[in-house]
Formats: sequence, C-alpha cells, structure tokens
Amino acid sequence: MTSTIQTTLFIATIGIVGIFIFMSFFYLIILALDKYLPYQEEKPTEEFMEEISESEE
Amino acid sequence: MGLEQLLPAIAGMTWQHLVMIGIGLILIYLAIAKNYEPTLLLPMGFGAILVNIPLSSALTQIDPATGEAVEGVLNIFFDAGIATEIFPLLIFIAIGAMIDFAPLFRNPSLLLFGAAAQFGIFITMIFATLLGYDIREAASIGIIGAADGPTSIVVASRFAPNLLGPISVAAYSYMALVPIIQPPVIRLLTSRKERLIRMSSASHNNKKISKKALIAFPIVITVAAGIIAPSSLSLIGFLMFGNLIRECGVLNKLSQSAQNELSSLVTILLGITIASTMTADRFIRTDTLIIIALGLFAFIFDTFGGVIFAKFLNLFRKEGNKINPMIGACGISAFPMSARVIHQMGQKEDPYNYLLMPAISANVGGQIGSVVAGGIILTLVPLLA
Repeated sequence: MTSTIQTTLFIATIGIVGIFIFMSFFYLIILALDKYLPYQEEKPTEEFMEEISESEE
Repeated sequence: MGLEQLLPAIAGMTWQHLVMIGIGLILIYLAIAKNYEPTLLLPMGFGAILVNIPLSSALTQIDPATGEAVEGVLNIFFDAGIATEIFPLLIFIAIGAMIDFAPLFRNPSLLLFGAAAQFGIFITMIFATLLGYDIREAASIGIIGAADGPTSIVVASRFAPNLLGPISVAAYSYMALVPIIQPPVIRLLTSRKERLIRMSSASHNNKKISKKALIAFPIVITVAAGIIAPSSLSLIGFLMFGNLIRECGVLNKLSQSAQNELSSLVTILLGITIASTMTADRFIRTDTLIIIALGLFAFIFDTFGGVIFAKFLNLFRKEGNKINPMIGACGISAFPMSARVIHQMGQKEDPYNYLLMPAISANVGGQIGSVVAGGIILTLVPLLA
C-alpha cells in the first residue's frame, strides 16, 4: 500500500468520523435551543395594547 | 487571401472543438427539454460553445500583431469569481436564505443522516486515489458526492482547478438525476416491508418552533463550527449568514433579494464562468470520463451510506418507532428533490404513508452535512496531504 493511499484512507476515516461528530454536536445544539428557547404563543396585538394601556394608567 | 485569413475560426476548428460544441448543445437540450438544473446547465452549455470556437475573444488570446495577451472576459470572471471563491460563497448566502431549519427542529435526530449520506464522498476519494489521482484531485472528485454544486466548486477550485469543468458538470448533472439514481439503489438495499414503515408522528410534524431558536441557530452553529474547524467557516458562515437574514424578521427585503436576485445573478455568472474551463484541450480527456463515472459512484454510495445507517439504527429501535430506511437516502444535499423522490417512493408502496416531513428534515440535514463535509476536506487535505 502506497503512502498516498494510506493518507487517503486516514483522511477518509477522520472525515467520516468528523462529520458525525460535527452533526452530533449540531444535534445537541438544536436540543438545547429547543429546550431553552421554547415556542411561546404570541399574544394578539389587541391584548398586548390593552396591557400597555393598563400599565400606563 | 486564403480561408485561414478570411475565417480563422473555421481554419482553426478541430474535431475536439466540434465535440465540445456538441456537449454544449446537449447541456442546453437537457436544461430546456428535460428541465435538468436549467439555471446552471444552460449557462454552462452556452459557455461551452462560446469557449470552443477557435480564437474566441471570451477567452484570453495572444494578439498575433503585438504578441501580447488580450484578456478574455470569462478569464477575468474566473479569476475574480471562482479562483477567489466569491461566486460560490455568494450562492451560499442565497441558499442559506432559502433554507428553513424548522423541519430539523421537529426531527433533530434525522440530522445524523446528513452525515451518513456523505459516505460516497470518502469512498470515492479512496477509489480515485487507487486510480492514480493525487490526494488533492481525489478529494475534489470525491466532493461530487456532496451533491452540492457550490461546495464542489469551492473544493475543486482550491485543490484541482484543472478538473473544475468536469467536476462541476458531473455535480450538477447528477443532482438533476437524483430521481433516476436513488430509487434503484434504495430498492436494492431495502425490503418491501422496510419501505412500508410509517413515520407519521403528527405531534412532531406540527410542532411549533420558537423564532428565537431559529434566529439563534445560525449564530450558534457559526461560532461552534468556527471553534472546531476555522477553515470551514467561509462555507458554513456564509450559509448561516444567509439563514440569519431570512430568520431575523427585520430584513425581509434583503432575504427576498438574496433568494431571488442574488441567486439568479450569481448563478448566471457562475455557470458561464465555469464553462471557461470546458475548453476542448482540458475537457476531452480520459480523465473527464473517469470523473463522470466516479461522480455516479459517489452518488450511489451516498444513498448506500444513508440507507444502511437507517437500517443500523433500526437494530436498536423498538417496533413502532423504527425509521423508514428510505429516509436515510435523503441525507444528501439535493433539496428538495431527494425528499420528494423518497416521499413518492413511499406513496407508491403505500398511498397512505406520508414520508414528506421526515424526508425534508433529513434533506435539510444533508444541506448542512454537505457543507460540513466540504469544510472538513478543506481542513484535512492541506494538513495531511
């Protein structure tokens, strides 16, 4: 086996493992964002305006 | 006065030029009649004709009177836009502005298929080395398997500019041929029972995603990618920048411009500029045929990687929670074509099986995966080769 093929095999192995590590990390980021920044129902504008006017009073 | 003086282009025409003009016509035909990636294949096809007419002023020529080089516009575009990687990176902004990451938030585990379906890149790289290409060329050929034109162009222009023409043609042609390439490979690797697996989890598919999370995602990913592999930042960073413009909610006009005007303008320039590398002397070689064959090999092994990974995961999942292995094939970057193909295959087996949402999630994962793969290759090859 030539050194070129050995190096390519090494790059390929590191590469495929590296992609999985990257993507697993991104997966964890998504889970974290979803947990700490969950979806919250936005209040309708009228309700929001009412709250503001109440607080002003 | 002879023909040579009157019509020097005809006098200088060789059979190789005619073959290239024929290839240009075929690309134009595929773009118009078959609708195969017309935005890229049509400019490339026309450009192939443009640069294969002898003495074409679109390319740099030596003025016989003065002996000085007269720069051709396509060479100027190439030096300014491809050699500097500006055109593909601008395309990444446009693609980022087009991607909706919400499906990934609904099915985050499917992101991993975006990694598994890059398998073809690396197996092709090994195969290309066995065929005698050096590591930089092999990496550039392997990246065809990213199924992502701009990533292929960035890697090839950096590592093997001499092979950029055939690599770009192969990358864009096979992306258009996903509906033909993937189904037979998937059928070969899966049983009917596996293709019938349902993944319709309504609660996941309708889950609402917070705007804050979608805004934070491109920023966090850019910082994380930059810390792990700074060389990948130009690719991932521009993609995520485009996505931030889309999601921030205050730059709708810019987001629309990136998705439409920027994408269209740069695509025109990118296509016709790549054609400047499609000259007869650079394209009509055995290498071109080998690269086109290896590109197909890469796409087949991408599909293989995704499907086999899904089957592997199913070994550990309970009955009723298994993944339809066809979803694995969507881990390539060809969006939304691959997702659509898999959904249609699922419907063919069972008209009540709706695989579109998980397929789109995996396909979006593939869009990130291909860019990550490009970044990893750009980092590893100069370090180790």
